[in-house]
Amino acid sequence: MMRATPMFWRIIRRLLTANYGRLFVILLALGAGAAVTSALLNLQIDAKKRLTTEFRSLGANVIVAPRETTTPDANGTTLDEALMAQLPTHHEAKPVPAVGFLYVIGEVAKEGTVQFEPAVIAGTEGHGLTEIRPGRRTEYLASLEQDPFACEVGAKAAAQFKVHAGDSLRLRDQGREEACKVFAVVATGGAEDTQIFASLKTAQTLAELSGRISLIQLSVTGTPTSVNAFISSLGKSLPGADVHGIKQLTEAEGRIYDRISGLLSATVLLVLFLTSLCVMAGMSNVAVERKNDVGLMKAIGGSIRRVVHLFLTEAILLGIAGGLIGSAIGLAASIWLGKAVFGVAAQPRLIVYPVSVALTMITSIASAFPLRRLASIRPASVFRGEE
Amino acid sequence: MFLRLVADSFTRRPRRKLLSMAALAMGMAVATAALSVSLDVGDRLAQEFRSLGANLLVTPQADSLPLEIGGVDYRPANAGAYLPEANIGKLKTIFWRFNIMAFAPILEAPVEAWSPASKHWSSPDVADSAILIGTWSDHSVPVPDGTSYETGIEKTNPWWQVDGRWFTEGADECLVGTAFANKFGVKAGDVLNIRANDRTGWRALKVVGMLSTGGPEEGAIVAPLTIVQQLAEKPGQYRRLYVSALTKPEDAFARKDPKTMTPAEYDTWYCTPYISAIALQISEELKGTDVRVIRRVAEGEGNVLTRVRMLLWLVTFASLLAAALAVGASAAASVIERRTEIGLMKALGANSALVGVLLAAEQLLLAIVGGGIGYAIGILLARVLGERIFGFAPEPRLFVLLVILVLAAIITLLGSAFPLRKASRYDPAPILRGE
Repeated sequence: MMRATPMFWRIIRRLLTANYGRLFVILLALGAGAAVTSALLNLQIDAKKRLTTEFRSLGANVIVAPRETTTPDANGTTLDEALMAQLPTHHEAKPVPAVGFLYVIGEVAKEGTVQFEPAVIAGTEGHGLTEIRPGRRTEYLASLEQDPFACEVGAKAAAQFKVHAGDSLRLRDQGREEACKVFAVVATGGAEDTQIFASLKTAQTLAELSGRISLIQLSVTGTPTSVNAFISSLGKSLPGADVHGIKQLTEAEGRIYDRISGLLSATVLLVLFLTSLCVMAGMSNVAVERKNDVGLMKAIGGSIRRVVHLFLTEAILLGIAGGLIGSAIGLAASIWLGKAVFGVAAQPRLIVYPVSVALTMITSIASAFPLRRLASIRPASVFRGEE
Repeated sequence: MFLRLVADSFTRRPRRKLLSMAALAMGMAVATAALSVSLDVGDRLAQEFRSLGANLLVTPQADSLPLEIGGVDYRPANAGAYLPEANIGKLKTIFWRFNIMAFAPILEAPVEAWSPASKHWSSPDVADSAILIGTWSDHSVPVPDGTSYETGIEKTNPWWQVDGRWFTEGADECLVGTAFANKFGVKAGDVLNIRANDRTGWRALKVVGMLSTGGPEEGAIVAPLTIVQQLAEKPGQYRRLYVSALTKPEDAFARKDPKTMTPAEYDTWYCTPYISAIALQISEELKGTDVRVIRRVAEGEGNVLTRVRMLLWLVTFASLLAAALAVGASAAASVIERRTEIGLMKALGANSALVGVLLAAEQLLLAIVGGGIGYAIGILLARVLGERIFGFAPEPRLFVLLVILVLAAIITLLGSAFPLRKASRYDPAPILRGE
C-alpha cells in the first residue's frame, strides 16, 4: 500500500473539482443507479409482504371443524364454543380474524307476514366477520349494528323475503321462534347470499344447541409456508378438532404467490445487474476521456500503480458520495411508490441502505478498471494528439 | 458528405461508440424484458388465478331460497327451480366467449346409500342418508355454432383432487369424498348402491376414486350429472352453474352502474371483459337466470393483478431511467471530448444547427443499433424469465421492438440534448487554441 501524501489528496481534490460538469454527470449516473437499486430492493421486500395481505381479500383460509364431519346433515356434529377462546389472536404480529359459525336450517318470514320459508340461519360470533366473508354491503344501518338482536341478510335472501335494512325478520326452528332486526344486506356472490347472519346466541337458542358452534373460520395472513405452519400448530393445540386450510384458497394462493414473488425477484435482480452495467458503461466512457491526464502524469514520472491508485481513490469517493445521496433518494422514493402501488407507504428497511451504497461503490470501482488500459498509454503519442 | 461524417465517427472510433452502445443495449434489454413480461404477465397471472375457481355463479331467477352451506345445497329435489342443461352451450356464443375458460353445472340430490363393502350399511334395510352431487367431468358440450367445447368440474375447481380416476361420462361410476369414504368404509373398486326414493329403485355405481376438496364435498358422493338427473327425476336439468372467466380487473369505470352510463360509455363497458359485463352477457343468453359475481374471487384477483401490474411497470420504468442516465452520461462525455472536432467543423464554416444535427444523427444511429441489440437480448431474457416462472415463454412482439426503438431514440436524444446544445454553441477559436 502506498503512503497517501498531501500531494496525493491534492491531486484527488483537483480531479474531482476541476470540471464540475463532469463531476455532476458522474454523480448523476452513480446516484441514479443507487436510487433505482435501493428503491427496488426496498419495494420488493415490501411487495412480497404486502401481497400476502392482499390475498386476505379472498376471505377465510383456515377452518376449524368438528372431527367427525362425516354426516352431511347440516345440524349434525358441532364444536364447543369455548374453543374460540383458545385461538391465537395474532400470527406474525398480524391480527387473525376468527369467527365461529353455527348453521341452522330453519324457517324465516318477514315481520308482519305469516309465510315461513326455509333458509339457512348462520349464528356468528367473533371479530372480523367482514374479513372472513368479503363482499359488498349494499345496505347498511350502522345505528342498528350494536343491537344484540341485529342480523345481516344475504342479497338473495333479502330479495326473497323482500326485506331492507331496518326491517325485522322472524326466525323459527321446530317451534322455537326468535326475531331479529336487519342492519345490513350483503352481496358476496357465494353461498352467503342466501343466508341470514344473526348473533350466535340467537342461532343457539333456535337450534337448542347452547354453547355449540358448527365451525370456526379464520383468515390468516402470511406466506403459504407460514400459513401451513399456523395450521399444523393450531391442529396440535386443538386435538379435538380438525384444523385445515381451505384448499381452494391455500393452493391457489401458494401458486400465485410463488409466481409473483419469483417474477419480482427475477426482474429486480435483472434490473439491478443491468443498471450497474449501464452505469459502468457510462462511467467508463467518462473515464477514458482522462487519457490526457494520465499521459501528463506519466510524462512527469508518475508510476502506473500510482496513477491507477489515484483513479481508484477517486472512484471510491465518488461511489460513496453517489451511493449515499442516491440510496437516500431511492429509499424516500420507495416509500412514496409503495403508497402509489399498495396504498400503504412502504416501510424503509435500514438494511437496504448499506447494501445499495456498497453496490454503488462496487459499481464505481469496477467502472474505474478500464483505466488499467491506460497503462499502455504512451505519453508522447497522447500529446501529439494521436489515438 | 453528412452521411460520411456520421459513418466516419463510428468506424474511426469503434471502441468509444461500443461503450455507449453497450450501455444503451443493456438498458434497452432490461426494458424489453420487463415490457414483454409485463405485457404478458396479466394474461398469464389471470390464468393462474383461475385456479381459485369459478368467479361467476348462474342460478335460476325464480327460485326458492337455496339452503346452501359451503358449496352444498341441502334442499330436497322437489323444491325450487331448475335450469335446462341443453342451453349451457350458449355460454360460448356470448361476445366474450373466448374468455369463458370453464364451466360446470351442479345438481344435488339427497339419497340413501349402502354398499356390500361397508361395515354398518351393508344392506338396503340399513341404508344411510347422503348427499349426491351430479356434475360434468371432461364433458363435451355442443355449442350452437356447430362446434363443441371440453370442460368439467376439474377445470372450474382445480383444487379438487382425485385419488384414483374421474368417473367416465355416462358410465355407472362415482367418486366418494374422503370423509364419506372413511365413515362408510368404502374404497375405489367397491360398489355403492344408491336411490333417491322408493320409485327410482336402487342404482349400483362403481367407486372409481376418492375426492379430497377441503370442503363439504368430502362428505358427499359425486357422480355424472345424467345419473343424478335420473335419480332425482329431473332429466336434463341442473341447479347451479359455475363459470370461470378471464376478466379485466375492475376499475372505477367498471363499478359505475350500467344504467346510468351514456350510450358510448355503455358500449365501452359492454365490450370490455369486466366481470360485470360478462355476467350481463351470460344472463342475456341464458334466459331466466340470475348471474352473480363471486365477489371474494373476483375482487381478490382484481386487487392482486392491479398491484402486480403496477409493480412491473415500475420496474420497467426504473430500468428505462437507469438506461437514460447512463446513455446521457456517455453522450455528455463524448461531446466534451470532441470539442476540438466541433471547433474545427465550425471553423470550416458549419453553423451551430448543422453541428447539432450531425451529433444528433450520430446519437440516433447509435440508438437504432443499440436498441436493436438490446431488443434481441431482452427477448432472450424475457424468454428465460417467462419459462422459469410461468413455464411459458412470452411471444416476441414486433410492437415491443417499435416501442423500444422509439424509446431508445428519445432517451439518447434527451440524454445528449444538454451537452449537444452546449457543444453547438462552442466558440471555435479558443478551442482550437487549446484553451
